[in-house]
Amino acid sequence: MTQITDRSMRTAAFKPEADDDMLICRCEEITKGEIRRAVYEGMYEITEIRRWLRVGMGLCQGQTCTKLVQRIVAKELGVSPAQLESAAARGPVRPIEMACMGNEKGGVC
Amino acid sequence: MERYDLVIIGAGPAGLSAAIEAARCGMNIAVYDENKRPGGQLFKQIHKFFGSKEHHAKERGFHIGEELLAEADRLGVDVSLDTVVTGLYPGNEVMIKKGGQVSHVRGDTVLLAAGASENMAPFDGWTLPGVIGAGAAQTMMNLHGIRPGSRVLMLGSGNVGLVVSYQLLQAGCEVAAVVDAAPKIGGYGVHAAKLARCGVPFQLSSTIVRAKGGDHVEGAVIGRMDEHGKIIPGSETEIDCDTICIAVGLSPMNQLARMSGCRMEQNPKKGGCVPVCNEYGETSVRGLFAAGDAEGIEEASSAMIEGRIAGIACANRLGFLEDGKAKEAVESNEQALDTLRQGMFAPKNRGKQIEKTDEGFPVSQHLLVTGFLGDDEVEVYPGVTHPKGLHPVIECTQNIPCNPCQDACPHGCIHIGSFITALPAVEASAECIGCGRCVASCSGQAIFLVNEDIGGGYASVTMPYEFMPLPEKGDIGLACSRDGQAIGEAEVLDVKSVKAFDHTNLLTIRVPAELSGKARFYKAAQQ
Amino acid sequence: MKTTSDVLIIGSGINGSAAAYYLAKSGVDVTVLEGASVIGGGGSSRNGGGVRQSGRDSRELPYVMWGIENLWPTLSEELDADTEYTQKGNLRLGKTQAHLDKLAQLAQSAGKVGLDVRMIDAMEAREINPYLSEEVAGASWCPTDGHANPLKTTLAFYRAARRLGARFYTNAIVERIEKVHGRARKVVLKNGMVFEADCIIVAAGYASRKIVNSVGIDVPMDLKVSETLVTETQPHMFDQMLGTAAADFYGHQTKDGSFVFGGSAGYDQFVRHDETTFSTPPASSLHGPCICRAVTGYFPSLEHAKIIRCWGGWTDLCADGVPVISPVDEVPGLILACAFTGHGFGSGPVVGLMLAQMARGEETVVDLSALRYDRFAAKDKKNKKAA
Repeated sequence: MTQITDRSMRTAAFKPEADDDMLICRCEEITKGEIRRAVYEGMYEITEIRRWLRVGMGLCQGQTCTKLVQRIVAKELGVSPAQLESAAARGPVRPIEMACMGNEKGGVC
Repeated sequence: MERYDLVIIGAGPAGLSAAIEAARCGMNIAVYDENKRPGGQLFKQIHKFFGSKEHHAKERGFHIGEELLAEADRLGVDVSLDTVVTGLYPGNEVMIKKGGQVSHVRGDTVLLAAGASENMAPFDGWTLPGVIGAGAAQTMMNLHGIRPGSRVLMLGSGNVGLVVSYQLLQAGCEVAAVVDAAPKIGGYGVHAAKLARCGVPFQLSSTIVRAKGGDHVEGAVIGRMDEHGKIIPGSETEIDCDTICIAVGLSPMNQLARMSGCRMEQNPKKGGCVPVCNEYGETSVRGLFAAGDAEGIEEASSAMIEGRIAGIACANRLGFLEDGKAKEAVESNEQALDTLRQGMFAPKNRGKQIEKTDEGFPVSQHLLVTGFLGDDEVEVYPGVTHPKGLHPVIECTQNIPCNPCQDACPHGCIHIGSFITALPAVEASAECIGCGRCVASCSGQAIFLVNEDIGGGYASVTMPYEFMPLPEKGDIGLACSRDGQAIGEAEVLDVKSVKAFDHTNLLTIRVPAELSGKARFYKAAQQ
Repeated sequence: MKTTSDVLIIGSGINGSAAAYYLAKSGVDVTVLEGASVIGGGGSSRNGGGVRQSGRDSRELPYVMWGIENLWPTLSEELDADTEYTQKGNLRLGKTQAHLDKLAQLAQSAGKVGLDVRMIDAMEAREINPYLSEEVAGASWCPTDGHANPLKTTLAFYRAARRLGARFYTNAIVERIEKVHGRARKVVLKNGMVFEADCIIVAAGYASRKIVNSVGIDVPMDLKVSETLVTETQPHMFDQMLGTAAADFYGHQTKDGSFVFGGSAGYDQFVRHDETTFSTPPASSLHGPCICRAVTGYFPSLEHAKIIRCWGGWTDLCADGVPVISPVDEVPGLILACAFTGHGFGSGPVVGLMLAQMARGEETVVDLSALRYDRFAAKDKKNKKAA
């Protein structure tokens, strides 16, 4: 993205919606309303929403809710979901016990 | 560090196909899969696949999986199961977890073939037990022999929703309805027709408003949507069900690709965020390839070809296959892939309104909305004729890439031609001997053998039948129309189960002659 | 789009965002330029969340102590957001006599500056934290240390500043600063846009170096990668911040129950990097296992806790281990805050406050002369000075 983004632009006043109570991120129990409000508060990037609310930071690492969150954020910002940058992916791709991760064969790069 | 010519992540159709090609060239390969058995989703696929011979058409998915595995075995490919790839690091380093240990391996080439995960649709109550992914339902039924529920509501009318709904019926569940937010059925018409004639209703431009129930699903409220996607007040209706299946698409598994730092794109046509690949499936990270759903959501048949192309490209990259041979092999696979990507459901046609078939026949709008062809509509298609005596009636009305019926008939009754998506036509000059091979070969179960006059004011209709228990000769039951309504009495004249038909039984019923063009399913009389 | 303001801040990390907040709160017209697409995406959101004094250099201690005394206890209310600040002490653990000697030395020098930190034996350490392994031989204990959620704290400053009218621009990559009439005045972006202000604060982590190079200023700093891992939510075990004399891991249990542990495999200064990896360093497969071994050595009962994510970030490592927080006298109008060397999160609020004070031309709450930009002398001269 070469266009600079003005974070001070205000979206319209926050309006509660009927389905704001609906759970979106099951792992961290975050609702649609919380996500919408975060966007309203200036969290325009998926990464910021994650950091602010812990959306997609739980056991499944966003495998289930990422697309749902993208759709909600895109709608609030009035852009297409495809325009939103995904959050960085990090290992381990599956949860792994500390004892197992520490039990490393080799370990020389 | 432990090092391989090719490290393949995922032993599904794409990964195994790549392994086979690479092993043929003598490469040293490692294949990892986190599951307890290989084959990816293939072993859940109990239906017959579309395509042509080269795509394993008319074979059931799990058989294709067995063949792939056998071939990989023959070539000495070692698939490491229960092995999780936990990360992909610079220099095409792969970290794996097996047992209680992690280790580091490196591939001169690495193939991402980790498949996809199911999308979810949020609605009030979507987190209740009893709301499951359609793929999960398939796993329960087809791998573990467990019925996911007794009365199921399906959300999503794409091919997954349609195929899984049919399998739910086969497993003995009721399917309360197939609901879709779109105004048209998303999957193949022939798959929808299979459901409609079993009496499954389609509710389009509709969605689930909420799932009812305290600690599990006890019903659903669905509502009709206006053109803005808002529920029309007062349109809500209640559906009795104990399970809600979600079939609203798949998302490519992309964490490893994203971790690798390769260039990614948000591509709705590929199902979401995918690595940007060249024609060989290579990402912007040299030596890192992607194939199958991980590269873009498509069918298993395409995944296998993509896998093969990637395998060949890796072999060529590392000097295991000379340029000329690689080029030839890639080209023939690309041709096969291209054939699969034709027709009205081709990726390039997604979202397009198609009014006419390639041949100029009107596309049945009725089929797209109700799941079945109107009695009059069906008459215009080239597979529907009315000669004297026994003849095939082919209710295949959309251009889809599939042609086994043409090869199935030993007498040349069925013509598709060289263009695989053409509608099958019945050749007036050829004589049907009633062998039924065409009926069993049709993956869409859209071919019937009809004799409009068997005497005494009766007609006979032979149909594909894949339910248990099998009716018996002499049973009296009900003939059902394309929309699943009982339209008259039917007597079972014959039940044919032949090994070559691979569990597609041929059920022949006798119906009043005037029902010959309408009776398309048989139900046992009410117990 | 408004391109002039009283104060221009380059960098939206915790220092920049906090400075913007305190400036906006005092009615100053302030604009923040962030080169990345994300607010606070650098070290501010890639750290272990320590709000600690123990283990710090005596040049940093005065302002860090001031922040912990005056800002952190009420920060959540101030920002109308839960920063998850927990002030339940800091255990710096040792396994060997050499470790204990090192800890004792640090404790002694911190004590001289007035910090309450003391050495405790293994038994007392286990009374504070009963999950410690038998290998732990002793610890230093600082009861006023703690931890907070860096992701939320940084974004809370941003949100609060934004509410007060501070303007933030992301994807605004700064190319250079230009002087007008002898003062730093213009900031030119990579896309050619020009912003102007009476005062320019550069708080852009390692990227600050290239930016201030454009007006002839340099800070001897380098990049070092630091990696952290987080576990799934666990039942509550303990509240202390943890560190070790061996520097093999640090971390704490967060409010939601997951553990956050940082550390490195020892090659953290040699990780390959290029422009594309500037915000998110490439992960190394060696860090995670190494941190796990370290943690389970001190906390055997965590061996079944599952790691759900590792992440890394760049540390802007200063040649002498402490940051530059200083007006740049030779370029009037320019204030520099960088090279926090991996421990800038806990001091973020007070640094922001002091940057705001500098921008307004006020005295800072704590004297910062030890952290001037022009303190880097040749080693022979430093030795003379010490003598």
